[in-house]
Amino acid sequence: MSTAAVLDRAVPVTRRRRGGWSWLRGVAITVVTLVFALPVVWMFAAAFKTNVQVTDPTVGLVFPPTLENFANVLADGAILPAMGNSLLVGVVSTVLSAVLAVPAAWAVGRFGMRSTGSLVLVARIVPAISLLVPWYYLFAQAGLVGSYTVLVLSHMFVSVPLILWIMISFFEGLPVELEEAARVDGLSAFGAFLRIALPLAAPGTATAAVLAFVASWNNFMFALVLADENTETVPVALFSFISYASTDWGGLMAASALMTVPVVVVALLAQKHIVAGLTAGATKG
Amino acid sequence: MQSHSVDRSHRRLRWMMLAPALAFVGLMIVFPLLFTIDLSLTDAFGAVNAGAEHVGLQNYGDALSDGRRFWPAVWRTVYFTVGAVVLETVLGLALAMLMRRAFRGIRWVRTVLIVPLLATPVAIGILWLLILDPTNGIANQLLKSVGIAPLEFLGSVSQSLPTLMVIDVWQWTPMMTLLLLAGLSTLPEEPEEAATVDGANAWQRFRHVVLPMLGPTIATALVLRSVDALKTFDILYATKGPGGGSAFEAETLNVLAYGLTFDYQEYALASAVLVLFTLFIIGVVLVLRRYAGRGAA
Amino acid sequence: MRFSRRRFGTLVAATAGTAALGSALGACSTPPVTRDTPLRMLAVNHVWTQAIRKLLPEFEERIGRKVSVSMLTADQLASSYNVKLNASATDIDVMMVRALQEQGLFAHNGWLADLTPRIQGDPDFAWDDVQPAPREASTVAGKVLSVPVVTERSVLYYRKDLGPPPSTLDELRERALQLTDRQKGFFGFVGRGQRSGAVTQWSSFLYSLGGDFVTDGRSRIGSPEAIAAYQYYGELLGKAGPPGATNMSLEQAMPIFAQAKAAFYVDADAIYSNFLDPKVSIVQDTVGFAPFPAGPAGSRPYNIPSWSVGINRFSRLQDDAWQFVRWASSRETVEKIQAAGIPGARTSVWADDKSLATFPAELAASMRVNAENGVGHDRPKVLQVGRARDIIGRPLVAGILGQDVPPVARDADAELTDFLVRDNRHQGI
Repeated sequence: MSTAAVLDRAVPVTRRRRGGWSWLRGVAITVVTLVFALPVVWMFAAAFKTNVQVTDPTVGLVFPPTLENFANVLADGAILPAMGNSLLVGVVSTVLSAVLAVPAAWAVGRFGMRSTGSLVLVARIVPAISLLVPWYYLFAQAGLVGSYTVLVLSHMFVSVPLILWIMISFFEGLPVELEEAARVDGLSAFGAFLRIALPLAAPGTATAAVLAFVASWNNFMFALVLADENTETVPVALFSFISYASTDWGGLMAASALMTVPVVVVALLAQKHIVAGLTAGATKG
Repeated sequence: MQSHSVDRSHRRLRWMMLAPALAFVGLMIVFPLLFTIDLSLTDAFGAVNAGAEHVGLQNYGDALSDGRRFWPAVWRTVYFTVGAVVLETVLGLALAMLMRRAFRGIRWVRTVLIVPLLATPVAIGILWLLILDPTNGIANQLLKSVGIAPLEFLGSVSQSLPTLMVIDVWQWTPMMTLLLLAGLSTLPEEPEEAATVDGANAWQRFRHVVLPMLGPTIATALVLRSVDALKTFDILYATKGPGGGSAFEAETLNVLAYGLTFDYQEYALASAVLVLFTLFIIGVVLVLRRYAGRGAA
Repeated sequence: MRFSRRRFGTLVAATAGTAALGSALGACSTPPVTRDTPLRMLAVNHVWTQAIRKLLPEFEERIGRKVSVSMLTADQLASSYNVKLNASATDIDVMMVRALQEQGLFAHNGWLADLTPRIQGDPDFAWDDVQPAPREASTVAGKVLSVPVVTERSVLYYRKDLGPPPSTLDELRERALQLTDRQKGFFGFVGRGQRSGAVTQWSSFLYSLGGDFVTDGRSRIGSPEAIAAYQYYGELLGKAGPPGATNMSLEQAMPIFAQAKAAFYVDADAIYSNFLDPKVSIVQDTVGFAPFPAGPAGSRPYNIPSWSVGINRFSRLQDDAWQFVRWASSRETVEKIQAAGIPGARTSVWADDKSLATFPAELAASMRVNAENGVGHDRPKVLQVGRARDIIGRPLVAGILGQDVPPVARDADAELTDFLVRDNRHQGI
């Protein structure tokens, strides 16, 4: 169900009225794109400025760039390990979430249990603040405090419902005939899932996994309270730059840029799939 | 219903597939919810387990009769959510109609639109703080160059919440656009063609043909966006700090609950506020769903 | 969201099963303390923490144990303590705390280990050498709960190229208003204006105008002195300060002075090095340091222990944690750290001119004057300091915004009075 592929197709209905309108439309789209792009461009520009230049509004996008901020950020020794932590927690939580959520999504998608599936919406509704103190209490009772396990579990709390949500739509969009044919050939229902549905679901799973990873990469509040010095993730390390005695804007922007680069790369490489994942389930009413 | 065609092993299988995910989410929610509800009925202060006694619904009474912090926070939550979501829906719809037909460079535009959605909220908050700094920021410099008096943006009590709405609109309008574009792509072409033949102009076609057909998608998008907007936290905290600023001008229910928990250690009162907040969100979802169901019919 | 009772039953059963599994796993997973277990310190991101980190190898070698330091901002640090210690966490040994901010509540919760026996049984540690005001701030109900490592006083930062520093508050206001040129983006004064963050800096103004926050457990913020201080600070920052002042904490105010956009700035002396750093400052040649200007009650700046180190009562490395606290606050360590430009709390070190050699001479002189005139707190001594600061800061913000102060101050006074009834009860007063 590549929604984005559908988007690329020119819709013939409204094709008349080219002339004057399309010129205006081009301008409008350009302006909107610039408005959405500029703040992020500004962040990348600021990352290459000295702290004096960052807080001087007359310095625009043209200036002698410095790599000092990046050097400082990397020399600080917190960002690189934090990136490692974010990567580790993101990958592990995403893989485990997929293991839990993909079969569940298949069950919901195939057997029409959407009402049960929409229970995951509850996970989206409950404010995370109400979870932190009890979670920590629970984890501490289980001796899981201060380990990656805690972080992975908390991030899975976000990822499982996310993957479930996306994959339900995906399985609903897969033709059921292939699995039925496989069952006629003697495969069990589980076998049909394993041999037929799962391989077909690979692109959807990849999309869901990328979005789950991004959610984990961006998560601030869970890591803020649940991580310790060895498991600190990038958003927390980023926030640490706002230190007691000074705000290192250049460093903050350099660290933000380092954080955002993977996201921009993902957006560039997989934009079609990302759009499909973000919009999954939205057109089902 | 075709339950007779689903055999027993089938039913067992589907539960086996579903149970681990449900059990996980359930465990991560049920315990905290019970914990929070229990805490909201005690007088816990300072620490959650420091000899607290049950005091019935007193905390709920305290919260609901608090005109200094609680009710303004409720109002701000509603104001922020309604303002941001309405703007995002209108702008998102306009942008979706603009991008409906493919054009050269649509890949690039889509990439640009995705970045705010995927970028880290903390980084976004800090970035806007720099851009909107009243003295040193680029935003006022731009306003000055077109002859507009400088604004205080996040530095001002009255401009803070509208400014935060604009940041939210910047970050989340693309989400609306993408959702609505997906909806638009599934619409049948015949009704629009028929309307064109009947002589309807572009606006009439949009208003009377496209918009009604798009109803269910808009409704779903509204539910998703509203839930997230009600719970907005990272960007408010990163830009306005604890308590939502000096006059509590950006203190929504989520920020209030955070402050009561972590700044004041009023665990019992905070739990009561969180329970009320959760009920409020559930109420909003139910109302939107019901309304959406009618709108689609 | 409809689902049948039977489905709910299954869900509950599954949840209970997972919970049982989780606790079974948990029962045997608490790791034992070994020689390899690091001593863990939760600390604020502060120059002191950075300095102590550099000295760690000598200490690690002595106790034969690694020390791992986790740095957070002050707000995050407080949140982390609250979440972790509520669960009686054992993964924190040494705690960096603010004796005047969270220590009272932590003591109430029983989270800080009592250091009194260790201090009394250790004459070499020389607790008497610690300045009296910080020593008193470290003590709750007769028990020493932390040892101060960083002290600060408010100081007047001024611009040497714009004339000598004002010596009275009246003169400060007059000169600041005169120097303000909003068209050119130059401001006579900059300071913190954020509701909670400004309270500590405002305290010096309050004391110098003859007021205080709370005396004998009663609110004093509705007193004529307090109202005068609210009005004074409101006028100073509101009329001579930059736009958006009520959103300014240290992080926003400091760069404005560093960027040569303000003539006067009142804040902690501990942050002076920012103005000497060419990476963030263009005033490194023109910045001057002066004692706090005198009001009707004289020059009465705060002089407080801003950061202290204590021990988590749930720590399983109590002895090594104490060795760390002892080492980090010992005369030798404080000498090294103060000589690196971070003011400590030991009288003997302050008496030694060598330890002040790295400070600019004018700053060192001002610090000594401010320390002599100083008041030992910069916020009310209550349990819920955060909440009290939010109440006290309300009229302050009203003043900066140019609103009528007395009615807001009276309302805040009533609110603080109600607050104190409950807070005093919890304190056992």
